[in-house]
Amino acid sequence: MDIQLGLAGKDFVILLADNQITNSILTIKHDEDKIYKLSEHVVMSVSGEPGDSSNFSEYILGNTVLYNIRNQHELSVDSCAKFTRKELANALRSRSPYQVNYLIGGYNTISQKPALYRIDYLASIAKVEFAAHGYASYFCYSIFDRMKKPDLTQDEALDILAACVNELTRRLVINHSSYTLKLVDSNGVRVINGEELLKRTSAK
Amino acid sequence: MSYNGTAIVAMTGKNCVAIAADKRLGQQFLTVDMDFQKIFPITKKTYVGLPGLATDVQTLYKSNMYRLNEQRDIEPKAFAHMVSSTLYEKRFGPYYIEPIVAGLDKNNNPYICGMDLLGCMDVAHDFIVAGSADENLKGMCENLWEADLEPEDLFETISQALLNAVDRDALSGWGGVVHIITPNEVITRHLKARMD
Amino acid sequence: MSNYNFSLTTFSPSGKLGQIEHALAAVNKGVTSVGIKVQDSVVLASIKKPGSSLIDLDTLKVVEPICGSIGMTYSGMGPDFRVLVSRARKIAQEYIRLYQEDPPVNILVKNLASLIQDFTQSGGVRPFGVSLLIAGYDSRGPGLYQVDPSGAYFPWKATAIGKTMVESKTFLEKRYNKDSGLEDAIHTAILTLKEGFEGQLTEEFLDIGIIGTETTVEFNVPGKEYKNPEFRVLSAADIRDHLENTV
Repeated sequence: MDIQLGLAGKDFVILLADNQITNSILTIKHDEDKIYKLSEHVVMSVSGEPGDSSNFSEYILGNTVLYNIRNQHELSVDSCAKFTRKELANALRSRSPYQVNYLIGGYNTISQKPALYRIDYLASIAKVEFAAHGYASYFCYSIFDRMKKPDLTQDEALDILAACVNELTRRLVINHSSYTLKLVDSNGVRVINGEELLKRTSAK
Repeated sequence: MSYNGTAIVAMTGKNCVAIAADKRLGQQFLTVDMDFQKIFPITKKTYVGLPGLATDVQTLYKSNMYRLNEQRDIEPKAFAHMVSSTLYEKRFGPYYIEPIVAGLDKNNNPYICGMDLLGCMDVAHDFIVAGSADENLKGMCENLWEADLEPEDLFETISQALLNAVDRDALSGWGGVVHIITPNEVITRHLKARMD
Repeated sequence: MSNYNFSLTTFSPSGKLGQIEHALAAVNKGVTSVGIKVQDSVVLASIKKPGSSLIDLDTLKVVEPICGSIGMTYSGMGPDFRVLVSRARKIAQEYIRLYQEDPPVNILVKNLASLIQDFTQSGGVRPFGVSLLIAGYDSRGPGLYQVDPSGAYFPWKATAIGKTMVESKTFLEKRYNKDSGLEDAIHTAILTLKEGFEGQLTEEFLDIGIIGTETTVEFNVPGKEYKNPEFRVLSAADIRDHLENTV
């Protein structure tokens, strides 16, 4: 029941993820940050099997950070996504595949463009303008399709995400009390207060 | 074949071949991407279409690229055998792909070939279809295809076959792309289609 | 004095690898082989050396087919040649297994040369005591290559290796004409070998292999027709005919 959303705008990308860790019918944690910061301009949100998602994500995080240190150069969002896909694809054909879904978003400082990649647990990759994983996708893709427009501003993007959260709160059997939002643009990664999004929701 | 959804078709013409695909990437009935590449150029006169599980489409295309160790363009027939070998290597843990190779050989004779996920080849003189819409495509091709079509007529034929086939398949469509391979150039055109 | 001559992988101060030089010496002691490439065909010819008059030369073959469109001969050590023939055939079959077509000559030569090079740099082995002449026909036309014990290889229009290499090459330089046909090339090859042969050269002492547009074979695959040049080793009777025409 994890919720993962992503939106690429004019010059930024926003990822949204819920903060819950669950085990069967129990909620174990309410304030988990499921959006990893891979570098100054790349973030990655994860969902899937709890063990796999932290283990594999930390592996990806470790290797991208190591690359950045070794080369004194930041791996672009496009390269991060393709690296993650390749590792996931190799694992898929091994004895221990990982059951994890990713959204990788970032701002490519060289081409000066935002990019959002959607990678599922089978390791198929797609570069998209908006994306969702899990049950949330059945609710949110139609909202994205309705509200998307070219050259989306940050304010408009937050409105779309607010509409998504609103719908999820209304119709999804599980209610999430809080969300993590991370925005990447040319200035780097910025955390947006989840409360603000909830305020937009109630205002609607 | 039906997890991500695909429709790919290749046809021969007079000194030309055509290969066309839809653009959808889905997860069962959820459409995730409407601009997904399924046909890849191998040489100036050989293209390969990879219908099937999207992750294997992306894996297979990469692993094939590195094997062209010859200092010349590979012939479509040799390339098809190479793909076939690559697939059979994974006989007991296959890639879920049913590739289609389309190209002109060194004498500019059309060559099209389909295969199953284990690499069993099917060389045809008329057309090859594959994907979740394969039966629809087969019906369209049986009716529309005729021998010795010129490039422009072949384009019309293959486009109509593709568009009408995907309209009756819930898992493929959302736009299409057609490559017409002629001795001198490859004409690539993108088709608008119903987006539902 | 020098350890350099015994360790395969140690350079001498002058920059030479002793064992490889010695392998070449073994080649230069071997009987002569020639290869001639003309417009649309290639000829390989080699002498069979009678160690004793009691040897039955009919069963000895020094020109060997590798795959449909490639053949090979040698100068140097016979046993080493037979090892390389079987390795070359395996390389060809692996290629055919993958692409369902014969390897181009340059690709086979490249792969075989890389194998030979391995034997100059590995532990516990010695280099091959042979130089090879490899002839074939592919989409680029006829091809003739020489491969040395070091793994170096050269494309030739015409060349000779073995005992009378220097004289034979001088002879070929005078006689070579790239526009001549297959028959002329066979005769030039025979004449070249005759020059360096002590005694009467008869078909018994000679092996000849040819390939070109005149030696095509048709494959009868249902629905397909191929017509490819095929490497052929001439029969004793054919060689006698050629010898009689060569005065």
